[in-house]
Amino acid sequence: MIIYKTRIAAVGGKLVGFCLLLLLIFHSPLAVGQTGVRISGTVSGDDGVPLSGVSIRTSDGSASTSTDNDGQFMIQAPANSALVISYLGYTTQEITVGGSDQQLTVTLQTEASTLDEVVVVGYGTQRKEAVTGSVASISGDVMREVPSANITQALQGRLPGVQMTQTSTRPGAGMQIRIRGTRSLTASNDPLLVLDGIPFAGSINDIDPNSIKSIDILKDASATAIYGSRGANGVILVTTHRGQKGQEARISYNAFDGVKNAFSKFPMMNGPQFARLRAEALRTAEELGRGATYPNSSDESDDVNTDWQDLLYQTGRTMSHDLNVSKGSEKGNYSIGMGYFNDKGVMPTNAYSRISLRAAVDQEAGKYFRFGLTSNSSYGFTEGNQVGVGDALGSSPLASPYDTDGNLKRATFASQDVYKVWTKETIRDVRDLWLSETKTLGSYNNIYGEVKVPGVEGLQYRLNLGLNVRQTAGGSFTGIGVTNPTDPNAPSGASINHSLTTNWAIENLLTYDRTFAGKHSVNVVALYSAQENRYNSSAISAIDIPADHFQYYNLGFAEGEVTINPADQGYSKSGLVSWMGRVMYAYDDRYMLSATLRSDASSVLAPGHKWHTYPAISAGWNIANESFMANNAWLNQLKLRVGYGETSNQAVGPYATLGRLNTRPYNFGDVGEDSYAIGYYISELPNQNLGWEYTETWNFGLDFGLLGNRLTGTIEYYKQHTKDILLRVDLPSTTGVGSYVSNIGETENKGLEFSLNGVLVESDEPGGFTWEAGINLYANRNKLLALTSGQERNEGNWWFVGHPINVIFDYEKDGLWQEGDPYLDILEPGGNVGMIKVKYTGEFNADGTPVREIGADDRQILKFDPNFEGGFNTRFGYKGFDLGLVATFKNGGRLISALYGGTSYLNLLSGRHNNVNVDYWTPENRNGSYPRPGGITAGDNPKYANTLGYFDASYLKVRTITLGYNFDGRQWMDRIGVNQLRLYVTAQNPFVLFSPYHKESGMDPETNSYGDQNQAVTGQIQSRLPIVASNAPSTRSYLIGVNLTF
Amino acid sequence: MITVLATLFAVTGCERILDEVPRDRFEPGFFKTEEGIIGGLTGLYANLRRIYGQPYYYNATETGTDEYTYGAQADGNFRMADLSGLGIPDAQNSRWDVLWNAAYSAINSASGIITNGTEAEMPADLIAEARFFRAFDYFLLVQTFGGVPLDLGGGVLEFNMAPTLKSVRNTVPEVYTLAVFPDLLQAIADLPENPRLIGGVTKNVARLTLAKAYLTYGWWLENPNSIPTYPEASRTDPDGRDAQWYFQQAYDVATTAIDNPGPYALQPTFYDVNFAENDRNNEIMLWADHTENSAYYSESNVTGWDGGDAQNQAVWMVTSYFHTLKASNSPSSWTAVDAMFRTVQAGQSYSRMWARMAPPIGVFTHTFADKANDSRFDGTFTSVYRGTWHYNPSRTETELYGANLLPIGENEPVLTFLPSDPGSIDYSNSTYNSGTQAGYLPGRADYVVPLDKISREIYPGLWKLGTYRKSSDYNDDKIASSRPYNILKFSELYFVAAEAVVKGAAPQAGKTARDLINVIRERAGKWRFSVAGNTEKIEDNSAAMIAATPAAIDINYILDERSREFFGEGYRWHDLARTQKWEEYGGSYLISEKAGNIPVTVNRQLDKYLYLRPIPQGQLDRMDGEGDFKKAYQNPGYN
Repeated sequence: MIIYKTRIAAVGGKLVGFCLLLLLIFHSPLAVGQTGVRISGTVSGDDGVPLSGVSIRTSDGSASTSTDNDGQFMIQAPANSALVISYLGYTTQEITVGGSDQQLTVTLQTEASTLDEVVVVGYGTQRKEAVTGSVASISGDVMREVPSANITQALQGRLPGVQMTQTSTRPGAGMQIRIRGTRSLTASNDPLLVLDGIPFAGSINDIDPNSIKSIDILKDASATAIYGSRGANGVILVTTHRGQKGQEARISYNAFDGVKNAFSKFPMMNGPQFARLRAEALRTAEELGRGATYPNSSDESDDVNTDWQDLLYQTGRTMSHDLNVSKGSEKGNYSIGMGYFNDKGVMPTNAYSRISLRAAVDQEAGKYFRFGLTSNSSYGFTEGNQVGVGDALGSSPLASPYDTDGNLKRATFASQDVYKVWTKETIRDVRDLWLSETKTLGSYNNIYGEVKVPGVEGLQYRLNLGLNVRQTAGGSFTGIGVTNPTDPNAPSGASINHSLTTNWAIENLLTYDRTFAGKHSVNVVALYSAQENRYNSSAISAIDIPADHFQYYNLGFAEGEVTINPADQGYSKSGLVSWMGRVMYAYDDRYMLSATLRSDASSVLAPGHKWHTYPAISAGWNIANESFMANNAWLNQLKLRVGYGETSNQAVGPYATLGRLNTRPYNFGDVGEDSYAIGYYISELPNQNLGWEYTETWNFGLDFGLLGNRLTGTIEYYKQHTKDILLRVDLPSTTGVGSYVSNIGETENKGLEFSLNGVLVESDEPGGFTWEAGINLYANRNKLLALTSGQERNEGNWWFVGHPINVIFDYEKDGLWQEGDPYLDILEPGGNVGMIKVKYTGEFNADGTPVREIGADDRQILKFDPNFEGGFNTRFGYKGFDLGLVATFKNGGRLISALYGGTSYLNLLSGRHNNVNVDYWTPENRNGSYPRPGGITAGDNPKYANTLGYFDASYLKVRTITLGYNFDGRQWMDRIGVNQLRLYVTAQNPFVLFSPYHKESGMDPETNSYGDQNQAVTGQIQSRLPIVASNAPSTRSYLIGVNLTF
Repeated sequence: MITVLATLFAVTGCERILDEVPRDRFEPGFFKTEEGIIGGLTGLYANLRRIYGQPYYYNATETGTDEYTYGAQADGNFRMADLSGLGIPDAQNSRWDVLWNAAYSAINSASGIITNGTEAEMPADLIAEARFFRAFDYFLLVQTFGGVPLDLGGGVLEFNMAPTLKSVRNTVPEVYTLAVFPDLLQAIADLPENPRLIGGVTKNVARLTLAKAYLTYGWWLENPNSIPTYPEASRTDPDGRDAQWYFQQAYDVATTAIDNPGPYALQPTFYDVNFAENDRNNEIMLWADHTENSAYYSESNVTGWDGGDAQNQAVWMVTSYFHTLKASNSPSSWTAVDAMFRTVQAGQSYSRMWARMAPPIGVFTHTFADKANDSRFDGTFTSVYRGTWHYNPSRTETELYGANLLPIGENEPVLTFLPSDPGSIDYSNSTYNSGTQAGYLPGRADYVVPLDKISREIYPGLWKLGTYRKSSDYNDDKIASSRPYNILKFSELYFVAAEAVVKGAAPQAGKTARDLINVIRERAGKWRFSVAGNTEKIEDNSAAMIAATPAAIDINYILDERSREFFGEGYRWHDLARTQKWEEYGGSYLISEKAGNIPVTVNRQLDKYLYLRPIPQGQLDRMDGEGDFKKAYQNPGYN
């Protein structure tokens, strides 16, 4: 003890000296001077195999050892003391020794039983059995069954009530996360991410999935209340690996490498199909006497058939390497790791790579103190996101990319639209002349100190300090004429942007944890915390960079306009101060109660409205532990949970209460700099009453374990009611100002969640056949209860009281107009047979004729949200082989495909440029489901074109199939010191079933964009809705991987 | 250590963490500083862009008049605006919302500048600019919607900083006599003779606006065709004056400006007024500016096609799909290639095509009947399209072969609109396929369409608003026009004064209605350049022009002459609404279903309630109040 203290003193300075002083004051002399006994023995697993490296220590920490290669140990312990025997992956055992030397044979049980699983609940852990709130957990190992760039991809479909929606198919893109639906209209709906106990300030991509030990998701208010306002949308607790106490040094290496290709090409027409479309459009124009027609340009010829996508896509590659070293001693442990991830997409030059470093250290000092550090840092690099599919999709298949000499053309014309000719080779050739890069550097560091308060058993004080910094630097450059289809001398352009986020958080925690009389266990936490987030960003763009070698590295040389748009420069600082108290009480493992009270103050709200206090309470009843259930052999676990709580959301941008002047630049004449001036106008009014948005949640849960816990599951029902929603209210134009932010409106979410995990086939002997399976299913029903005072409809935002927040507001397609259908002339003046028929909702005259033509009043509120979603996984094991499958599914709701609708301009059905390959109406093909080419248009598209883009969103998608082999207990492994070795092959996104959209298009039915991205025109689809648009194609990949432990 | 640290943070952190100091933005309080007021004025000029050049506003001012109907590529915005049975622009879809939504922000800014600037004792000439814009916007609103609110939430003509969901409309006479006239009179008194900045407002800009406002209000008081007003108001002036008094004022104010032109004058020829290289000439008194040299200050993308709501895209709407014209690259057999190349470098005749609006045939047979003496047909339209394929660097042909496989050189005609149908035009597009509806005549290389048989698909473009770029650094035509959009011209003073005389104002000697109109017509007879011929043309037909002027000028003649002078510039609907001649002029029109076909007459149903345009649905939706209140807020006739 004394030696140890001296060592720290040598390391630290004055502060450590102060700690030493405290240590000396509180140091109890109890451990000294007792008589010891010699305990020896062997430790083996439940399969009878001796375990090496098992930690054996006395409960008072006075002695410790670990087992040798044969599982044997010897330890000197105080008489009548308790030995704690622990090993990673096995249930820890405590054995009380007698007063004399003795020989022990210890069998450790594999930690399979969910009963003893520990769940991270925020500011502490709880045995799963004692949890009363709604918490979904997944271990890092299980999560990694889906090899992926970030945890959102890995978690998709794995946990009930946690919806991960793909919003980009670019390498390294994160996903949209929604826990139990959408609550807010304009404030954030993103959950809080907590990394190793401290709210995470970075991007989801900055966390290496390999570093994760477990993920716990807090879903209801009674669970999230301790995170207060920040937990309003759910909390994702990420716990990274640490060394285990008493664990021998362990080195693990995990890697995979593989190739990927487009899951499918975009379903464009080939040459003959496109030539026929043009001919049909021309025929319509001749028969109906209207419409623009699109003859072949000089570049096009009906006998050419070019597949522009084939020319463009490359074979991508995904690679991950991760190395980790960990060790634990009796007083301390560490874990250090590094990872490298690289993902090259199928779009040429499009790639994402990440290097991550992490370290976790825990150290006890004396009997009362413990310190620790977790540090996660990563450097990410994204490039090539400027390379798009637009030119390849629009280019005419009738145009050859080559001129008569066999050289690639600069561009080809589809009738009058010009498209740059791109191939994977030409894009790679200009990678120094056409680039878009983002570099991010994030460092997330948590330091804690813990002291047990002497004299009060179970009382402990802990200080958490989080220090985080994230920096991004982006740059893009387009060389002279590089992307211009017709002008090789078009001016070059470059832009740069930088941002810096710094964040600190400090938490003071007092915990009291004690069990009285063997039956009353009490856990009390009190917290005071403060945190502050600072952000600033800048962006500059310039045109006419005189030489290509500058790229974006010296905008100062620009000869054209240099723009520093005030709208692109950002600064914000926001802070949060909180008090929180929580009591968790359990009686006899049968009755559990948890109560939380939290007060938050946020800087972003108006003075006088900054503070809010809210309660949460939940209770649990372990029915299976009741005596009347004791005789029930098949029911091992049955727990009823109920919780109520309130949470808050303050997720508006800083300064929303202050109002804002926007800029309106203007040129007075055209005499250069002297002409330029910046104008201002009031864009947003201040709101001195801006306060919290809050949500009340009820949660009911039932956990069960049957047949020796071979079948375990959970059913939950919840209801959330969100009030005083933070909403940007559009003011009438006559006020002279566009909007202000206010607390207005109400929403509701109700839902049911179900998960079931089972061991379907169990084997008694090692290496026998085993089969496990799990399924989860959830359904959320969202409803908008109120908008701005009395307003029932907000058509501009597609918000309608009584309907979900996410709906589609458009005409409802009801087939096509056929010859002889009545009232075409009344309902669709100027329309034609073969045009889209939409539902008419107006009145009819006495003679049965409609009173008016179809118009804006006929637009319908169409369902967008799915009926239910979920996922399943299954795993077979036999003699070292394992075969696993992970799948996700979704039923109902609508998929918006901009490709088939009007916004991408790829289904114009006029022959203007290439078209999605669809079965269109012609006088000979009256069963075609798409309108007659060249028929009536609205703008450039067929009238009601957007209705063509709505599909049933159902699908079942197998995300991964993995076949692995575990080399176990081989002699050669022992010889070279390998503990564990597993090799596997994985197919990702192998196939899709039950998807109407996939059936129509061959495409991946998962969304790849937000509603305002990757289309020709935006503003028609709400930006918040995830859709399928012209982003990089989805991919299918084949990986080979290894897990190795020394 | 831990305790000490914790205490430290707990004590110091709290209050400062919760304070806010924005560092990347202005809060509204900045409007009270001198810089804020100057910036506010700049914002008022920039606001002009959100109205003038905005394509849907342009549509609202032109489609449905005798100047424009909808074109082949029209969507609902344009079809309904035509009022020819394809719907009625109502609260939901009328594009007058562009004006409604842009005007009040400017009015409120102006009130802020007037209030704060007066408090801060800022120079009167600066404050007068704000007064001008407040009056200018109210004048536009009152002509379009009838009575509109003078209280935005902070009191009548006061700066509003309150997020109110209420609004009450004033009456037409209130808007004129409380807002428009007093502000403009004060502006005339305080504004300088010469503009503070290029394009800045002056005494005479305010005079022209006031003269038009007096004239318009005079008509409103007179109300010859019993057009209803709303909110209800009697046609008596609160100041006790009659229509005659206002007509006389209109005349006096306009002639004062003519007699004291300041920096303004008429250009020597009509061509010069609208020639892009002569933009911002001294005939133009107010414009919404743009520049090709700065995407940021122009608020318009200068190298791409998408750039927000302040772009000048009006001319796209009225440009037909001439780019599809084909010719053969072989003199012996028809092998179709593009004769046109879409590039802004091709010049003012070759704007981007949208074909949303088309001129009816009457424009060419009635309004611009005289195409020989009067230079304004030639100075308004692109009636000859010339081969531009050679602007595409990858095209090496120096000659193509058009109709009859006759050669067409670079910049030689590919499509010509003929003054009338000579007969025997072959529209079959079988042997020589132009790729358009145009036909051909024996012996001519170019395709032809007679102006009396144009269709919604093929018609002359609007040269005067055509896009133009000085530098050769960019060649796509998809960028918006970087030319200024002209709003007020010195020439209009003559029209306003002449109209006032027609309505009974007593003229000064030498400034009768005929005298004034003849100033314009005399200038119209002078040629410097032929757009159709793409060549210099020095000719003076002034004498013939004056000789053709009728002895007695009536209101119809003024309207015809206004259309010849200001065709397609967004004046027309307000002109027809002011004079209550909309139905007479726009009640029907002629157009061919396909180029060369016998034209058909299309009738419009122009009920009187349509003279007041609908209050946009967005305004009704956002207001607080019951259905009855909102119904009463809306103009009668719109549900």
